[in-house]
Amino acid sequence: MNKILAVIRREFIERVRTRAFIIGTLIVPFMTFAFAYLPQLLLKRDTRPRSVVLLDGASGSTGDSVEAALRRVTLGSGATSRPRYNLVRLRTASDVDRLRDSLIQHVGVDSPEAPGLDGLLVITDQGVEAGKVSYYGTNVASFSDMRSLERAMSPVLRGERLARRGADSGMIAAAGVELDLQSNKVTKGRLTGESGESSFWLAYITSFVMYFSLIMYGIQVMGAVLEEKSNRIVEVLISSITPFQLLMGKVIGVAGAGLLQLAIWGGASFYVTSAIASRNAAGLDQVAVDGTRQSMSMPAVSVDLVVVVLIFFLLGFLLYSALYAAVGAMCSSQQETQQAAQPVTILLALGFIAMFTLINDPSSSMARILSFIPFFSPLVIPVRYALSPLPVTEVAAAVAVTLLGVVVIVWLAGRIYRVGILSYGKKPSFRELWSWVRTA
Amino acid sequence: MSSPAIVVDRVTKRFAGHTAVRSLSLEVPTGGIFGLLGPNGAGKTTTIRMLLSIIIPDEGSVTLFGAQGTGRDLSGKIGYLPEERGLYPKMRVLDQLAFLGECKGLSRWDARKRARHWLGRLGLGDWEARKVSDLSKGMQQKVQFAGALQHEPDLVLLDEPFSGLDPVNSQVMRDVVVDVGRSGRTVLFSTHIMEHAEKMCDRITIIARGEKVVDGPLAQVKREFGHSSLALTFTRNGAAAKAILADRSLVARVDDSGASAEVVLAHGAEPERLLKALVMADVGLSRFEVVEPSLQSIFIAKVGPDAATPAASEAVA
Repeated sequence: MNKILAVIRREFIERVRTRAFIIGTLIVPFMTFAFAYLPQLLLKRDTRPRSVVLLDGASGSTGDSVEAALRRVTLGSGATSRPRYNLVRLRTASDVDRLRDSLIQHVGVDSPEAPGLDGLLVITDQGVEAGKVSYYGTNVASFSDMRSLERAMSPVLRGERLARRGADSGMIAAAGVELDLQSNKVTKGRLTGESGESSFWLAYITSFVMYFSLIMYGIQVMGAVLEEKSNRIVEVLISSITPFQLLMGKVIGVAGAGLLQLAIWGGASFYVTSAIASRNAAGLDQVAVDGTRQSMSMPAVSVDLVVVVLIFFLLGFLLYSALYAAVGAMCSSQQETQQAAQPVTILLALGFIAMFTLINDPSSSMARILSFIPFFSPLVIPVRYALSPLPVTEVAAAVAVTLLGVVVIVWLAGRIYRVGILSYGKKPSFRELWSWVRTA
Repeated sequence: MSSPAIVVDRVTKRFAGHTAVRSLSLEVPTGGIFGLLGPNGAGKTTTIRMLLSIIIPDEGSVTLFGAQGTGRDLSGKIGYLPEERGLYPKMRVLDQLAFLGECKGLSRWDARKRARHWLGRLGLGDWEARKVSDLSKGMQQKVQFAGALQHEPDLVLLDEPFSGLDPVNSQVMRDVVVDVGRSGRTVLFSTHIMEHAEKMCDRITIIARGEKVVDGPLAQVKREFGHSSLALTFTRNGAAAKAILADRSLVARVDDSGASAEVVLAHGAEPERLLKALVMADVGLSRFEVVEPSLQSIFIAKVGPDAATPAASEAVA
């Protein structure tokens, strides 16, 4: 046991000390910061008010309603808010096309006396009926600008269409109400106060992170297992410790370093984005702030779900690390591992796909069976638990099966390693592998 | 009497149709220095790996310290320097040695203390915080050598320990090996450099093509090989000496260089008889020395030029 600890410590410390680890660990929070902050910088540059001409060729009060709606749109909120549009409204009954063409010549053309127009908005009766409004501007590529216009005008035009058919203002207000499904999670006959959606997303995102981080760290585990063989230090080690001790120590050591890195990445990303979000909440484009808030807010989930997710993340990490270690044990060079690792990667992908199929029916017998297969349970159990909590016994059994799987795989890998050590440069066939397992 | 440190009983190991070691039996008594000699490809490394249970013999058995258990079970009592040297290149020297010590069952603290002691002893004290890859090949070899000895094992197995070292470093390591041998512990080392074996070993085994050729205490091996020669240097009355050396019942062969001669005695003749005859004839002598055959000459005579390369036909068979 002390020897396993020595291997774990060596593996962890030597790994964490490398330049690659330190740079890799720092670069992700930096990139998160850059990706979260740069678009906001770009948006910020564009937050001056827009000069827009509203060319109103529509009859009745449609133009008034649209103008009022656009004037209500503000930049920022609270004391610093100001109108988003410097709006000029031109009414015309017949000359819409001619006026439009002459106005377009001023869009985006700055004169010494005054800055040019940013855009031209054209509403006509046919447009109102068909739900079509034309905008001619320099900023049509700006997602937030276009969305802001759409959001301001859409309910107004809908109201106008209804009003033209004789609906009163009460009916129009009633027709404008959108559906917002309020899902509430019930566990064992009691409301838990969490929404089903956020629980599911937690499990789903965790599986995603697990899938991609395993593919990334699996290569490191294989490299670590090859290290002794390529350094030729293996003879001294194997005459002192068992292959099981060596491989178990390596799997846990590499997993430890990987989990540390993931924890730093996760913590830093969360910190950076939430700091930016809260800073921006004061005075930025509403669309951008909404977006950030949606993607970054911590969903309301129960503690036991978080615990289950963390436990199975750890187990999955160990199990697949062990599988990659077994691949490393039967190879003698980094290039060989690329090919030999494919079955493991496929297995991982299968588990991932299985998880999707379970979303529709989390308590089917298929889901039950998959929960007790070590290769799949780390991906399946968290999603099932999030969709509908499982009995403690079932979760405990899945934990036990997966842990057993880890030990058995490392043990088998040890036997393969044991015989593979001195057969440098030759990849074994499956029949040879089996005989290695039996004879070693 | 304590049990032998190593007993190898009719061990055979085959690799892909080629027999590396064939029905080899060895007994290495506790204490002293044992030389495992043989040409390249004779099976020395395979034998040592089987002692450590890095590879498992196909037939026969290996017993260490008269006890049950494989080399790994007893690894705390064994130190090993493999022929293929290897260390973690990115690791610091002291950490590396401490890790090797921990693998031998030392506590972390004890392992670091001993590692420091050995680095000092081998003149590498200033290098303990450097990476292994910063060290020269010779220095790395010394680090590994320290790794094999720092846990004070009862049995030290060294595979070609002095190859690739300059004379000064080679001497430093040979002194350490002799110290270990004198302290009542057992050293087994393999080499094909006969001068090292001749100076250091109490017992030797020569193997060739996986089979034992010669075995026993060094002095006995030399005695049994026979062919002792005498080196003589005359100061006076050389003519009388020549007459005596011409006696075929006493002297089988003379290599006469005037004032000195190398003499091979006739079968059954004893050096004392020749000395007596020379003294009686009033021959002046400044040298009368029984020269033992060198291990080199025994090795070449026993192994022969054919065995110096493993037979390629066996690999096909």
